Amino acid sequence: MLLPKFDYHAPANLEEACQIMAHYGDQARLLAGGTDLLIALKKNRIYPSQVVALDRVGELKGVGIDENGLYLGARTTAAEIMEIDFGPGGEALVQAASQVGSPLIRNLATVGGNLATAMPAADMAPPLLALQASVILERYGDQREVELKDFFVCPGEQVMLPEEVMSVIYLPQLPESTGGAFEKLGVRKALERSIVSVAAVVSLAEDNRTIVDARIVLGAVAPTPMLATEAAGSMIGKKAVAKNFAAAASIAAREARPRGLRTSAVYSRLMVETLTIRALTRAFEAASK
Amino acid sequence: MKKCHITFQLNGMTTEVLVNPNQTLVRMLREDLGLTGTKYGCGEGDCGSCTVLLDGEPVNSCLVLAAQVDGHRVTTIEGVADGDNLHSLQASFIEKGAIQCGFCTPGMILSAKALLEKQPDPSELEVRTAISGNLCRCTGYQKIVEAIMSTGKSAGECSSSNEEKCQGEG
Ligand SMILES: Cc1cc2nc3c(=O)[nH]c(=O)nc-3n(C[C@H](O)[C@H](O)[C@H](O)COP(=O)(O)OP(=O)(O)OC[C@H]3O[C@@H](n4cnc5c(N)ncnc54)[C@H](O)[C@@H]3O)c2cc1C
Ligand code: FES
Ligand code: FES
Repeated sequence: MLLPKFDYHAPANLEEACQIMAHYGDQARLLAGGTDLLIALKKNRIYPSQVVALDRVGELKGVGIDENGLYLGARTTAAEIMEIDFGPGGEALVQAASQVGSPLIRNLATVGGNLATAMPAADMAPPLLALQASVILERYGDQREVELKDFFVCPGEQVMLPEEVMSVIYLPQLPESTGGAFEKLGVRKALERSIVSVAAVVSLAEDNRTIVDARIVLGAVAPTPMLATEAAGSMIGKKAVAKNFAAAASIAAREARPRGLRTSAVYSRLMVETLTIRALTRAFEAASK
Repeated sequence: MKKCHITFQLNGMTTEVLVNPNQTLVRMLREDLGLTGTKYGCGEGDCGSCTVLLDGEPVNSCLVLAAQVDGHRVTTIEGVADGDNLHSLQASFIEKGAIQCGFCTPGMILSAKALLEKQPDPSELEVRTAISGNLCRCTGYQKIVEAIMSTGKSAGECSSSNEEKCQGEG
């Protein structure tokens, strides 16, 4: 498979990257790990005249903490995320990163690329939504912050302008008694896009039993990764026990909007229910540790 | 399409190449540099036959642009042996019968090498996870897993006192 022709840029920093993107606009495409972009190019789905590699842009790598909370560079790979301690609830993101593709893919695939591609089944989107993440979008001379819940539009589309570069993802610090979990169903263990995925993040009151906050996010069962708000809301003030997890899971199954493309909608809903129970159970275990 | 001038470490040697921007790493290795040990299968990241080490980490070289390795370190299967002396993993693959057609072998060995460098004494699960991006259509994986485990640190103990158990788990 040959790639179409394009010119290649390797800006040394974020400012240079933004300048190049401002100059070429929708003629240019950013290249992070390439695991989505190179396939789109090979399959002739896109024809950018310019490819702008982010390899050398140091500002986009790794984690740190500033006055706004914990930030994660958009160019951080899934393999690198697996080694990071994100604090309470962050287990969900680590578990999702560790299930992307294969070890080979995880050494390339970045979190920014995963979000920007905006596939309904993108594995790192549900945990980041559950962790209330927001993304910083930079363009030459300008910057904006978008909450991840307002980021996705439809399969393959998000709110970014062609010239914008995602620099970092902010994760608010959640209370100590918070736990997270991610569950994914594919037809095999490795190299598998999710058929259904569920991320759950649960915060407990001081009694370590009462749920004070919860978020459930469903992947691959709607045009975009979706918050199951009714299901999560149903648990607030309730005890973290199996009966309440099951009740929330059945609401989540109703909230899901599967299109019945890869599997039947009925099956998808059943799996949402099963995976939600598992994710809530494990998120609670992590929270009560 | 302006060509890119890149300089990188290839199997320990400083290498300079002029590449087309739309050239993938696997094609540059095979076609421009004649290193055909790296295989090309699916071209989509699914089979792992194009695995190389990029700064020590295994990646699919069909999903990396040649221009991206500028300033980096690439190891291919050609860089694994020490002259005529096979790497212990290569010797072990031969000894255990972990090679049939051999198409997957370069990728398997590089994924295994990266694992053993991080985790010299891997569990079977760790071995199977490490090669989960490398498909083999011939061996059924069993002998590959055995070959990798028997190269690991506790391989000695394993083959002397505990052979049956190791094979059983393999
Ligand atoms: C074999 C295989 C298996 C896979 N399995 C999974 C899986 O299990 N789960 C899963 O979720 N995904 C999977 N994927 C999809 C892919 O690996 C992920 O979506 C990955 O995270 C994409 O990141 P990337 O860095 O490779 O993106 P790239 O391919 O480099 O970029 C993807 C898109 O994002 C844009 N982009 C990248 N970085 C930025 C940025 N900083 N700012 C703005 N735009 C940006 C690019 O312009 C491009 O349009 C798989 C892919 C392959 C080939
Ligand atoms: S050729 Fe690269 S993964 Fe198949
Ligand atoms: S030995 Fe033939 S594919 Fe593995």
